[in-house]
Amino acid sequence: MRGERALYLILGVAFALTALLILYPAYHALELSFQRLDSFVSEPEWVGFQNYRTVLATPEFWAAFGRGLVFAGVTILLQVVLGIGFAMLLDARIPLKPLVRGLAVLPYLLPTVIVALTFQWMLDPTVGVITQGVRLMGYEYIPWGENSTVAMAMVIALSVWIWTPFVTLAFLAGLQSVPGELYEAARVDGATGLQRFWHITLPQLRPVLTVVILLRAIWMFNKFDIIWLTTRGGPLNGTEHLPVLAYRKTFELYQVGEGAAVSAISFLILSAVIFIYFYVFPLDEKEQ
Amino acid sequence: MVNELSMARRTALYAVTLLAVVYSFFPIYWMIISSFRDDASLYANASLIPGPFHLVNYEVLLGLTDYPTWFMNSVLVATGTVCITLVFSVLIAYSVTRLQFTGKTAIIGTMLYAYMFPPMMLAIPLFSLFVKLGIDDTRLSLMISHCTLTLPLGVWLLWGFFKQIPVDVEEAAMVDGCSRLRAFVLVVLPLTLPGVVTVAIFSFLLSWTDYTFALVMIGSDQLKTLPAGLDTMVGLYELRWGELMAGSTLIALPLLVMFMFLSRFFIHGLSAGALKG
Repeated sequence: MRGERALYLILGVAFALTALLILYPAYHALELSFQRLDSFVSEPEWVGFQNYRTVLATPEFWAAFGRGLVFAGVTILLQVVLGIGFAMLLDARIPLKPLVRGLAVLPYLLPTVIVALTFQWMLDPTVGVITQGVRLMGYEYIPWGENSTVAMAMVIALSVWIWTPFVTLAFLAGLQSVPGELYEAARVDGATGLQRFWHITLPQLRPVLTVVILLRAIWMFNKFDIIWLTTRGGPLNGTEHLPVLAYRKTFELYQVGEGAAVSAISFLILSAVIFIYFYVFPLDEKEQ
Repeated sequence: MVNELSMARRTALYAVTLLAVVYSFFPIYWMIISSFRDDASLYANASLIPGPFHLVNYEVLLGLTDYPTWFMNSVLVATGTVCITLVFSVLIAYSVTRLQFTGKTAIIGTMLYAYMFPPMMLAIPLFSLFVKLGIDDTRLSLMISHCTLTLPLGVWLLWGFFKQIPVDVEEAAMVDGCSRLRAFVLVVLPLTLPGVVTVAIFSFLLSWTDYTFALVMIGSDQLKTLPAGLDTMVGLYELRWGELMAGSTLIALPLLVMFMFLSRFFIHGLSAGALKG
């Protein structure tokens, strides 16, 4: 076919770009994790697995890892449950459907910064609107700046608010593909709404859910901005997970090698997850 | 009896809908009405009804802070990111779908894999490389960093679009004497326009809303983009909530307007997982 040479040329560029933008930084991240350097301009010293040994030996790493699992686990669970609820609602006969649908998606589009700022304003311990609501119920205020459990609950709540629409949209799209006859048959058999949901909707949407949960797991495990913007990993490191630890080590403590080692370890964990993902849902299938 | 039951059910459905709307929209509503209040009403007892209406926060924000500079930086970085992403992702996705060779899925696979990378895993080495190249703390470096997010997304989305267009379409055009380039521009591209628009929107969105890369890559106040810039206003003096809410509203505004007019593309892109996060 004509023009093939140009196509191959473009493809070469594509390879080069992929390598330069993605593979080389990934390689460089690994390289950094085997070096000791106190800043990005200092002369690196090769130290082998020293950074990994140091990092894995510190309790703060394991604490951060555990917090990351809690943060990711709870947010995913809540996002999925709430997202399914939203999808069912948006699929039902509700008034002003397009508007409601748009509003339900909106949180997902907002920059994390403005969500973080707005909720901090609403939670302001003296005049925040949520604080005033809490006061009506007889409490003082929500101590998310002082108590690490409360702080964790808050970042989880914010994350659920922002990222639930991803689940909603995926589930909503999936709902459209469930054959209507299945519901008709169930109705004839006298199944209740709950039974229909449990025995038809959920099993039909299992593939969608598997993908959604995996993607959410990957993204929530790596989420940096919402935590950094609201708590900076505090109070008393109560919300510090691996991405925050990696950032602090690299850019605040100037232990670049150790910071790189932390992100390399989370990357390895993640790669295992992605590997399973591609194993379960191979790419070639989509190429048909 | 049946009617009563369905009445009750409908009322319940409406109530839940209202609850869902309040849950999703109240923070945005509160951000906007707070931005129009002066200090006296901001720090008094909060009224849920909009007003009083003042522009003082916007005047201070645009007149006395670096906000306008950050806004321009954001516009520049986002525009650059969109342009680079469109050119490269269209070319890559097109050539990958039209050529037969082994390792084809490897490119797409790598792109998709990169799309799932932890942001820190990319930010740390990228920053280190930018320091070596001497382009750290520049808008260009931020633009390149954003492309590591948007390019995989663009290739992935467009790959899906180009795949659906049968090769016969261009071959017919080429038999009629079109060059490959003309066939591509006149025949293939118009058919994939929705895909191209979707990629443009989401590249813009990823760049416009990004905080993590902006935090790592940019140190100078004068070069910060909106999200990172606005965040520096938090710790600086006492908390100026009115101005912070005005600043937040202005960041959200372009997105809200785009969302209103282009929601079809938004929903399509979102369903395809176009927002990393």
